[in-house]
Amino acid sequence: MTNNSMEANRPDLLLIFRLEGEAFALSVSWVHEILDAQPWAPVPNSGPFAPGLINVRGAVVPVIDIRHRLGLPPARSERTGRMIVFEHVIDCVSHKLAFNADSVEQVIECDLASLEPVPPLGTSWPQECLRGVVRNGDELVILLETETTFAPPTEPFVAA
Amino acid sequence: MIEQATEAFVLEARELLTELEALFLELEDEVSASRIDEIFRALHTVKGSGSMFGYTALSRFTHHFENAYDLVRSGQLEVERGLIDISLSARDLMVSFLDLGGDGPEAEALLASEDVTRIVNQLSGLTGQSCGEARPDQGGAHAVEPGDATCSPAEPHGLRKFRIKFRPALDALRNGMRPDLLLKELEDLGKTSFELEISAVPRLTELDPTDGLIGWVLEVETPEGREAIEDVFIFADDADLTIEEVSEETPQSDDVANLQAEADQPATPVSRPGAEAIPGTVGTPKQTSTAKSESIRVTSSRLDDMMDALGELVIAQARLEAVCEEVGNSTLETVVEDMQRLVMGLRDATLSIRMLPVESVFGKFRRVVRDLSADLGKDVRLLTEGGETEIDKNVIDRISEPLVHMIRNSIDHGLETAQERADLGKFAQGTVWLSACQEGGEILVSIEDNGKGLDAEAIRRRAIERDLISAEADLNEQDLHQLIFEPGFSTAEVVSSVSGRGVGMDAVKTTIDALGGSINVLSRAGQGTRITLRLPVTMAIIDGLRVRLGESVYVIPLSAVEECVEMDEAENARDSGRSLIQIRDETVPYLELDKLFGQEACPEEGRRVVVVRVDGMRAGLIVDDILGQGQTVIKGLSIYHRDIPGLGGATILGDGRVALIIDVATLIRWAETRRGQGPRKAA
Repeated sequence: MTNNSMEANRPDLLLIFRLEGEAFALSVSWVHEILDAQPWAPVPNSGPFAPGLINVRGAVVPVIDIRHRLGLPPARSERTGRMIVFEHVIDCVSHKLAFNADSVEQVIECDLASLEPVPPLGTSWPQECLRGVVRNGDELVILLETETTFAPPTEPFVAA
Repeated sequence: MIEQATEAFVLEARELLTELEALFLELEDEVSASRIDEIFRALHTVKGSGSMFGYTALSRFTHHFENAYDLVRSGQLEVERGLIDISLSARDLMVSFLDLGGDGPEAEALLASEDVTRIVNQLSGLTGQSCGEARPDQGGAHAVEPGDATCSPAEPHGLRKFRIKFRPALDALRNGMRPDLLLKELEDLGKTSFELEISAVPRLTELDPTDGLIGWVLEVETPEGREAIEDVFIFADDADLTIEEVSEETPQSDDVANLQAEADQPATPVSRPGAEAIPGTVGTPKQTSTAKSESIRVTSSRLDDMMDALGELVIAQARLEAVCEEVGNSTLETVVEDMQRLVMGLRDATLSIRMLPVESVFGKFRRVVRDLSADLGKDVRLLTEGGETEIDKNVIDRISEPLVHMIRNSIDHGLETAQERADLGKFAQGTVWLSACQEGGEILVSIEDNGKGLDAEAIRRRAIERDLISAEADLNEQDLHQLIFEPGFSTAEVVSSVSGRGVGMDAVKTTIDALGGSINVLSRAGQGTRITLRLPVTMAIIDGLRVRLGESVYVIPLSAVEECVEMDEAENARDSGRSLIQIRDETVPYLELDKLFGQEACPEEGRRVVVVRVDGMRAGLIVDDILGQGQTVIKGLSIYHRDIPGLGGATILGDGRVALIIDVATLIRWAETRRGQGPRKAA
């Protein structure tokens, strides 16, 4: 995994969304659309990483469980909040993916030069998913490293 | 206009070259006059139209080739292996010329290249050898018709003078004809002088500059005969053309043919009365033009667009049906039913356009086998079966490379040398069988050889060496064989130029997996190896049976479904580990989909059994309910879900929900491995 494709597209605009009250951010340039939360079709034996599929205007889009990826507790209901649909490039092929956020707040402008690294002791989230911390007013916003956060699990399918 | 005509020429030439390859190979097996004629005509067409569409280098090269087959046609040159070798190489060079996209420095360079020179020398060697009794270029035609001997000049190198009147048809220029190239070709024959004939050119105000109004009166002094000149104009068959020889030696009786073409006999101008004895020659251009009116060429991307649009239409149709059910209006229902019938018809028609017989790829393997057996010094024959089986064009395009690879493997690693075979008491000639057939919703393509088979022990050693299995792994022979599909595996002890690069079979497997197919190898030491590919007939739209499992909807491809029966309530409650049901007087094993899919079991009453057939075996799938059947647009699964066994894709239902499509074959195979009967995970 390299970060090159991200570096080439330095995000200046960040979309802020919340999970368990924490503010996370994603580069706006990758975001496709934001939908109301909706039930997804569960994929049997898929494991917790990408448990389901939704229909986004005729396209079948995998739903990624970002809470599980970050080690957060499961959502109380999958029907609340918002669903963020974004573009993710794996091996030069663009994939549309979706994940549930508790809420979507705002788009901020951000100079990525001001990005600070996240001190490993400062969070319990997997370090490889975190790109850095930016300040939005008084609040700290965690910018996610999409490349690693949404990378398909490396272990091949193991029979349940 | 000209670009289009040139494009059409290139397409036609490519088709002819493909045909030629097959014809040469057939000719090697069995010499027949009709094949030789076909070869000659194809060469002649490429030569003639090549010079008209700015492929003169190709045309000049083909000229030598054609000469050789003219001699073959007249029986002066015998068909033997050497000739076929040269012919195939020459054909490949023609493809190279075509690839260069017309005349230019590159084409000239190729014409002057060593390869071309060598082939031309070989061809001239062939024609030269047998030209003792006839003139080098057109000897064939004359030998057939002894009466023509009069028009062969006594001294072959003496110059003859011809006067040619030539005016293209009115719309010929618009159709891409290039008089300049014809004139240039004429100049190649000898010293040429010409006058313009402009009597037909109207006043400037009435002039359409794209009309062919200018004529030429040409005089050529050439050592060649009349045929050479007629050849130059062969494709200007609707032009106003007169050729006469200006010579005291040749009296008027030598048919001063008025070569004004007639629409229904376009080839008459080029065929001398005697030449009509040669079957087929006369009809060529005519056949080509009729074929054109019966079929049209469409780029496959347009077909793909059409298929995409159709996919959307099917989904919209399903939505319409769902709405109609809600509304419950009988007038609307009638319209929706009509719509459904029409969409179905449209779907079938579109799919059938995309279906091609497998033969279209099998054909090119004959060449692969021939070249390879020569390279490796093995005597191999290829037998094919079921070439008429039809598969979606996209599938065909993508299996062609893997098939070539597997055939190479069979010949390189599978088949022994003639000596080894003889020592083993086997027939010295090795055989590779290539066959295709349809079974349910799948196409089976298999490649089989009667060689030495896979060496299970060598595979085990290699797999351990490559860390694919642990040294203690206890695998049976069948499982060891499947390891050849693992990434980074290669058993070739000698790395030959042909295969043994270690990227082979796993690349094949990746391609087949991506198509939603599966691959399986069966091998017996000393007897041979058979690799079977199971491929979906189409990758786009299938007929599916919608079933309910808890709250989820799944689609089972209807092609795999044999029947649906009710689940026996007593059987439903059984928890003994037995999973067999009685259907009429047959015992059928069944799978509980909810358990396989890890859904919480909430046993419902009135469940159904969908009986499917896989690998010739019947099995039941237990579902909560059957919802109905309909067309299903297959959407591929993403990298996150692709490897899950039993799932063949997803689709969007009429109500907008996503449903998963069950891949019955992998589901049942996976269920078997879960029972501990099948191969263990290699890792």
